[in-house]
Amino acid sequence: MAIALGRHERRTNRFWSAFALPGVGWLVAFFVVSVYAVAAVAFGSINPLLRTAEPEWNPLQWDTTAFTDMLDRVVNGSLRQVFLRTFAFVGMALAGCIAIGYPVAYYVARKAPAKRRGLLLGLLVLPFWISYLMRMLAWTNLLQPDGLVNRVLRWANLMDEPRVWLDGSWTTVVWGLTYGYVPFFILPLYSTLERIDGRLIEAGRDLGASARQTFMRVTLPLSVPGLMAASVVTILPMFGDYYTNSYLTSGSPKVTMVGNQVEDYLRGSGQPNRGAALVLILMAVLVVLMVYYLVTTLRQQRQAER
Amino acid sequence: MKRWRARRGAPALAAITWLYVLWSILPVLVAMRVSFNDGKSRSSFQSMSMRWYWGDPNASLLHDDSLHTAMFNTLQLAGLTMLIATPLGVAMAIGLHRWRGRASTGANGLMLVPIVTPEIVFGVALFLVFSQLYTGVPDGLTRQLLGHVTFTLSFVVVIVRSRLAAIGGQFEEAARDLGATRLQAIRLILLPMLTPAIFASTMVVFATSVDDFVISSFLSTGASTETVPIKIYAASRAGSTPATNALATVMMVATLVAVGLAALALRAMNRRRGATDDGGLAGLTT
Amino acid sequence: MIGSRREFLTRSARVGLALGAAVPLLQACGDDGDSEGSGGGSQVRDSIADGLEPEAGPLRIINYADYVNPEVVAAFEAQYGVRVEITTFDTDTEATTKLASGAVKADVHHSVSTNSIGNLIQGGLLQPLNRSYLTNFGNIIQSFNDPWYDPGAVYSVPYTYFGTGIGYRTDRIDPAELDAQGWDAIWMATEFAGQVSVLDDEREAFTMAMLRRGITDINTDDQDVIDQALADLTELIDLVNVKVNIEGYKDIPEGTTTIAHTWSGDMIAGAASYLPEGTGPEVLGFWHPPAGQYVLTNDCFGVLANAEHPVLAHLYINFLIDNAIAEQNFGWVGYLPALTALDADYVIGAGLVPENLRSCIPTAEEIDKALYITSLGIEGDAKWAEAWSTFNAGG
Repeated sequence: MAIALGRHERRTNRFWSAFALPGVGWLVAFFVVSVYAVAAVAFGSINPLLRTAEPEWNPLQWDTTAFTDMLDRVVNGSLRQVFLRTFAFVGMALAGCIAIGYPVAYYVARKAPAKRRGLLLGLLVLPFWISYLMRMLAWTNLLQPDGLVNRVLRWANLMDEPRVWLDGSWTTVVWGLTYGYVPFFILPLYSTLERIDGRLIEAGRDLGASARQTFMRVTLPLSVPGLMAASVVTILPMFGDYYTNSYLTSGSPKVTMVGNQVEDYLRGSGQPNRGAALVLILMAVLVVLMVYYLVTTLRQQRQAER
Repeated sequence: MKRWRARRGAPALAAITWLYVLWSILPVLVAMRVSFNDGKSRSSFQSMSMRWYWGDPNASLLHDDSLHTAMFNTLQLAGLTMLIATPLGVAMAIGLHRWRGRASTGANGLMLVPIVTPEIVFGVALFLVFSQLYTGVPDGLTRQLLGHVTFTLSFVVVIVRSRLAAIGGQFEEAARDLGATRLQAIRLILLPMLTPAIFASTMVVFATSVDDFVISSFLSTGASTETVPIKIYAASRAGSTPATNALATVMMVATLVAVGLAALALRAMNRRRGATDDGGLAGLTT
Repeated sequence: MIGSRREFLTRSARVGLALGAAVPLLQACGDDGDSEGSGGGSQVRDSIADGLEPEAGPLRIINYADYVNPEVVAAFEAQYGVRVEITTFDTDTEATTKLASGAVKADVHHSVSTNSIGNLIQGGLLQPLNRSYLTNFGNIIQSFNDPWYDPGAVYSVPYTYFGTGIGYRTDRIDPAELDAQGWDAIWMATEFAGQVSVLDDEREAFTMAMLRRGITDINTDDQDVIDQALADLTELIDLVNVKVNIEGYKDIPEGTTTIAHTWSGDMIAGAASYLPEGTGPEVLGFWHPPAGQYVLTNDCFGVLANAEHPVLAHLYINFLIDNAIAEQNFGWVGYLPALTALDADYVIGAGLVPENLRSCIPTAEEIDKALYITSLGIEGDAKWAEAWSTFNAGG
């Protein structure tokens, strides 16, 4: 990359960069500057009367009180359990996504009869085009005390009393997250599984491995990158999710996630600087996953373009 | 023989897959059915009626202005987002694909960050920047539009880039050898070859914008800038009726019809070209 | 700070200049709007002139959800030939934040809470009202003509008044038992776990916990008192799986909530609009603490300082304090308007409030000895907010 370019190449390069610049400019103006605004608010002050943010744009004058306060609460205080709970919910929902998504992606990519594959793929993509909140709305209908879920469970004698599902039970939240994010998990995994070279699997079988052994030793390892990518693209949005749980639990403190606290601080209470600080902390927690995604994607792009 | 063997392990997997498909779609169908409920309940179905579509004089889709506004806003927002994000993203993809050097790597990395940024971070950041810095952008719809373009731009770039990588440089080089200028080569050779990818990305942008709740909600400046997802979300708080389901149903059907038509058009385009790819949609999934 | 901000803007604008396409946009964005975002302006002293023509609209209102009768709004729209747009909010602080940050533009604040109205006035968010447009102002109850939160009622007109207590189902909880238990009833409702709620309002919720312990200095910033209230409230999470919301007005009549920390108006509203068919209003009960420990609040109308339709805003407020209109609105909203004509005997006689909910209407003595939630200093606010966040985090 650092190779010196000739004059002609340099001019060509400038020609191509001109195509990218409007987009880059847009992202700088509305993404980079916006994220900087979060920092400016987090390290700024609040208006004593109206409790609105008074951002500090100059980093030299940043006031770190709110940030260190929040950090302390995350490490030692009441926000620790919110982070732990968020980790737990996201972890369980991810486990659900893998348990459901892997067999489905595997079947459609490698086992489904060719003539069915198009239809199945269409059905897998379908939820992607249906509004997320519509799909959650569906569950609020089903999980009402006199809703279909309770009626089916009682009809099957699995339950005597109708259960209240929407009162802040964590099972409902994990269920909702899994249901909501599984489609986003399946697609990247599908595309990796589908691209695995069939000859490798056949080679495994020809060398005498059982179907199970071939799966464990060939297919599964080869699908790990897809599994990772799928996990990252579902974990990241789940961490910032605040609408699924609040939609499914008419406001119970038992299932508060980090996103709910961020939203409360920024919109409910007059403490926008603390809310912004919490956003920074959340980003710091997620930075490893974000960097993992960036690095692998950049590497793949380079390979694809070689 | 091999095919037969490969399919032997499949019944269990097939069952799981079809159960999953049912599980993913049935609840939505139930929600659609609720929209035809004659009663006010969202859980017990009384009898079939169009009350929540047009029957009810106050709360039905036809008569509740706030519901039309939401629907109109959502479609307008998605349409405008598509119109801005697509050209911007296509140009950016072409530029990033060819542009070499450290600055290019940086720009490329920057382009990918929005994809991995949790929506709440996005929403809060845009909310703060518009309320503290870009205060000259007064109205909510413009704010939402700028936000949605920022949020969806990278999808376009990723989809188009993966197609660019598949095409390779030989066609353009051939055109250059035949005397075309660089811009002519792009216009006459590259853009037509990119059409399926561009098409696919407009679909993704449209659907993402229609579906977005967090950014729209953080940037909404009031009743006149509420979108359908905001309405559906609010329904869990205020007293809600099957009109919410009717709203969601209409929106869903509209999106699916639009996407379905686009997919058919895409397929026709590909068939004419003899190509069978998905327009680079797979690029999104990695 | 202004210098650095300008420099920052110039720098981002310079980036934009290099970019061609983004230039007009960034310039538009860089325009420093002065009417908002800066917040903390000073008190507005001038009201609009007399005798102006109403604007063409639309009239933009910010209000709680379900807090004005849609038919009344429609009647206003018809009478003045304008459209009304209502933006909703969940908590009073949320409304202030949205308005002060410029996130929401409105003409009429339909329901400013009395504990924050002082800050809104001092912060320059509200404009003084011109009484010449408020021809119905004489309908307002005398004691609200010079209220504690807005001396002389210069910036506000009272919309409704109500008290904070316990709303519950009389078919599930014996009223005599509840009267004996008072606030403790919420902590003792273990058999109704999952059907218990407290108001999603940090001031109200902690105040309740304080009153339960007999503390009437409810505007304290004493950390120990706040911590005790937090601990008490947190107990509710495990004891009764408490929900935090303001939907008692529909959840109790619909039966998904059995006992709730609510406002008196919620029960009247519930009786009027949310009972399932075949269920009578006698299933609803409302308890409140005795005079001297009873917290009263009133929500007020105000016209925003940057209202684009201030004349229309005045006319709207005037419309809502017309006796007949207010009665029609009350029949749907359930929160009692602060009008002399609509006293307890009248509204019960007119069938607007069932006799068993008479306790929802504050008596003269209760108003006289009422406790009020008032604005805290910034330190106190931070303490309450911190405690509230801790409670919402699950304790």
